[in-house]
Amino acid sequence: MVQNRNKLINLFIGNVSNAVVHEILERAVSKEVMADRYRKELVTSLEIAKNYREKINPINRSLPDKDVAYIKEKIIARVKAEIMTRISKGYKNIDLNLIDSLTDKALRDSKIK
Amino acid sequence: MQIISKVSRGSRMDQIYIPKNRAGFAIGNYVVIKQLEERQENPAEKLYFYGVKELEPVKLKIIHQVLELINKSISNYENIFITGSFLEKGFNFNDIDFLIIIKNKINHELIRRDIEKETGINAHIITLSSKELSRGLETDPLYQMMLSRCIAKKRFILKIKNKIDYKILDLHLLKSKTLINNFDMLSGKEKYDLARNLIVIYLYLKRNKINTDFVNKKIKEALGLSIQEIKDNIIDKKEFLKRYKLIYNKSFATILKGIEHGSKQE
Repeated sequence: MVQNRNKLINLFIGNVSNAVVHEILERAVSKEVMADRYRKELVTSLEIAKNYREKINPINRSLPDKDVAYIKEKIIARVKAEIMTRISKGYKNIDLNLIDSLTDKALRDSKIK
Repeated sequence: MQIISKVSRGSRMDQIYIPKNRAGFAIGNYVVIKQLEERQENPAEKLYFYGVKELEPVKLKIIHQVLELINKSISNYENIFITGSFLEKGFNFNDIDFLIIIKNKINHELIRRDIEKETGINAHIITLSSKELSRGLETDPLYQMMLSRCIAKKRFILKIKNKIDYKILDLHLLKSKTLINNFDMLSGKEKYDLARNLIVIYLYLKRNKINTDFVNKKIKEALGLSIQEIKDNIIDKKEFLKRYKLIYNKSFATILKGIEHGSKQE
């Protein structure tokens, strides 16, 4: 059971990380993205993350502080790694300050925090 | 010999009267009775078919019906395109995709609801200005794919100058990453949409011309499964993910190389 919970938390982390990376990159190329309406119907990482969240106990209230801190730390590390890969290749206009606030928002939206 | 006549109501059986003086149809001959095509009071307007070889008459009827509804609500549009799975053979579609080209922003929620009420089919409406459409077509292979098979209200010429924008493709590709870690959670349709997004980007990066038939053929070749098998979720997970990851990683590497090259030229 504990193993299952850990697995769900890891899947949740993976999807929120992907959603945060997507949001940061979207803001970096914001003027062109307005034309991307065909993909609005694709299932999003955040929707999937919310599905995993619904299976992680406690379901109806925030997770213990220890868990929240672990999840946040992992998400930030993964997002940074993804973003840094791009920055190292010369990607510009990426606002690294967004990582923390967008992660917090995603955790609040999915009632982890 | 042909005679046009009307079916009349009889007491025990209905009948068709034919003149007594006639050349042919002798007593005792067997004849075929066939419905004369119904005369239409408002002949349906001509539509322009692009990449659509055939379409079931009932679907065409629905399209005309919906276009009439849109006409009643909006008048200043530049064109309307019908795209997506509705145009594929058979009745395995989820909704009808409409792309309305219009200069000013409109609230299409009411039209969407009217269409749903009138036809019972979900409508997915996208409104774009012609400038946005041109930009989408230039930089987004999925737009090219959508318009490679469509029905248009007005004639249009698709002139596309492919402009590979690696940052935009990076963003589009990221959506397909979802499949890698969430295979078990996704439905067949969701897997198909994400796989199609991946393959379209992969082909575009290789400078291929994008159209629906070509992409569908390549999905089968690259992932080793037919479209229907993917949609039905009849998938060998291990083999599928192996192939999928390979294409994803190749595409991502090409995109990173492109971003690197682009940044050196800035």
